[in-house]
Amino acid sequence: MTEALDKTPPPDKTPSPRTAAPLVVLSKVNKHFGALHVLQDIDLTIHEGEVVVVIGPSGSGKSTLCRAINRLEPIDSGAITIDGNALPQEGRALARLRSEVGMVFQSFNLFAHKTVLQNVMLGPQKVRREARDVVEKRARALLDRVGVGNQADKYPSQLSGGQQQRVAIARALAMQPKVILFDEPTSALDPEMVNEVLETMRSLAAEGMTMVVVTHEMGFARSAANRVIFMADGRIVEENTPDEFFGNPRSDRARDFLSKILHH
Amino acid sequence: MSQKATVLFDAPGPRARRRNAIIGVLGIALLAGGLAWVVYRFDQTGQFDSQKWDPFQYTAIQQMILDGLKATLKAFALAVVFSLVLGALLAAARLSDHRPVRWAATAFVTFFRAMPLLILIFFLYLAPAKLSYWPGFLDFINDDPMWPLVIGLSLYNGTVQAENMRAGILALPKGQSEAAYALGLRKYQVMTFILVPQGIRSMLPTIISQMVVTLKDTSLGFLITYEELLFIAKRLGSYQDYGLPLIPAAIVVGTIYIISCMILSGVAVWLERFLSRGRKGRVQKIDVVSGETLGAGAGISV
Repeated sequence: MTEALDKTPPPDKTPSPRTAAPLVVLSKVNKHFGALHVLQDIDLTIHEGEVVVVIGPSGSGKSTLCRAINRLEPIDSGAITIDGNALPQEGRALARLRSEVGMVFQSFNLFAHKTVLQNVMLGPQKVRREARDVVEKRARALLDRVGVGNQADKYPSQLSGGQQQRVAIARALAMQPKVILFDEPTSALDPEMVNEVLETMRSLAAEGMTMVVVTHEMGFARSAANRVIFMADGRIVEENTPDEFFGNPRSDRARDFLSKILHH
Repeated sequence: MSQKATVLFDAPGPRARRRNAIIGVLGIALLAGGLAWVVYRFDQTGQFDSQKWDPFQYTAIQQMILDGLKATLKAFALAVVFSLVLGALLAAARLSDHRPVRWAATAFVTFFRAMPLLILIFFLYLAPAKLSYWPGFLDFINDDPMWPLVIGLSLYNGTVQAENMRAGILALPKGQSEAAYALGLRKYQVMTFILVPQGIRSMLPTIISQMVVTLKDTSLGFLITYEELLFIAKRLGSYQDYGLPLIPAAIVVGTIYIISCMILSGVAVWLERFLSRGRKGRVQKIDVVSGETLGAGAGISV
């Protein structure tokens, strides 16, 4: 992964690596919030190197789907496997699995009492118990890569939203994860900061990082996704390549959704 | 302050301002009048006689007061250390994933927080002698009245501090622990590296306010013959040779208490400012002040 990060990304999007090994597999996943059936029989396979964008109206369960993959939301029934292993229920095994699945949140969630550099170094040091100097070198390289290298010693609150989110991406990358989950990474940002974050994500995608991205950024879905998943009312209604999905949506639900967001 | 208080009520208009000014002047006049009456009565009853005040110039008396202060501070320091340790343990236990641990901690906290401190101290002071069996290694408790006081203070304040710390941790945004878990940290690591440091920082004003309460409550030691400041004041006040200077002794010792508490509050403000320097970038003075008053209020209500 590190070598891949150092290369400058090719500008065009990579072809869909459907032939690659399945990395995240959800089968018959169900979840309720009280009476609300937020995830209904979800079947989804994400292959290595694939960028899957999940879109849909709010309340459709797309965030819950994203958070279920590293068990921040436990599921009621069904199975989730990551790299062939069933998602553990608890304890050391769950923690180890989470360390291999990066997560970027809507509200950044940087540790407020730690500097930017400490935020990025915490995981590798405390979870992987890697040597300090190795971790620091990698953390600084990652911060440079996402363009906030000169902010390393500041605290999160001293950074703009866009900078904070890029630090959060660096923090996830520092664990050298197999896949990164993005839960509406640009929804809490001021409009002028959305692009800097999307650019960072785009370059990650171009380098072959496996990504699950819940977002409302249709431009990103078009240009960076290998596959678009459209969710509504807890179900996957449609999944297709971005060109097909945006150009020729098959379901009424998707057509309706797209007509509401694309023409205004 | 008046311009900043718009969160709580409307900014006063001209009539309200005039009324507030009148209330202010009347209030001050009333207070000043009351104070003047007290001073007048004290003067009439001879409380300012040199016979009553001279003893405070004697080195032996000053040494007595100093020893009392030392005893007060000793009990205070021990009680603060024990109550913070106990508080951290209880807070962690109350946030435990294991139900029995959580229940035990909750029962402990509920019991000792509801128990009047004085009863607790009396019990610890009197009970050991009445018990049919008392383990020898605990003899230190009935040998020195300081220990019943310190243990009582620690138990009571420990439970209060536990609730302060727990509140601080619970008030943190959920995203902080989620982000930590998502990195693969275990529960104890999330607690130690992420939640407790932030929780304690945010609750620091309240925690220190409770320390001020602890400091004042050391004066309960005088009821079980622990020779702290108040005990010394009472002893001084009973000296026939100096004309029973109880009021002067109370004034002197009261001043010492007030100064000690003010120093502690000052430390709280400084500490808050020091700790928030990194977090907030620039220090915002108003945040510090309002945080302090908030904390003091919470401390009193406990």
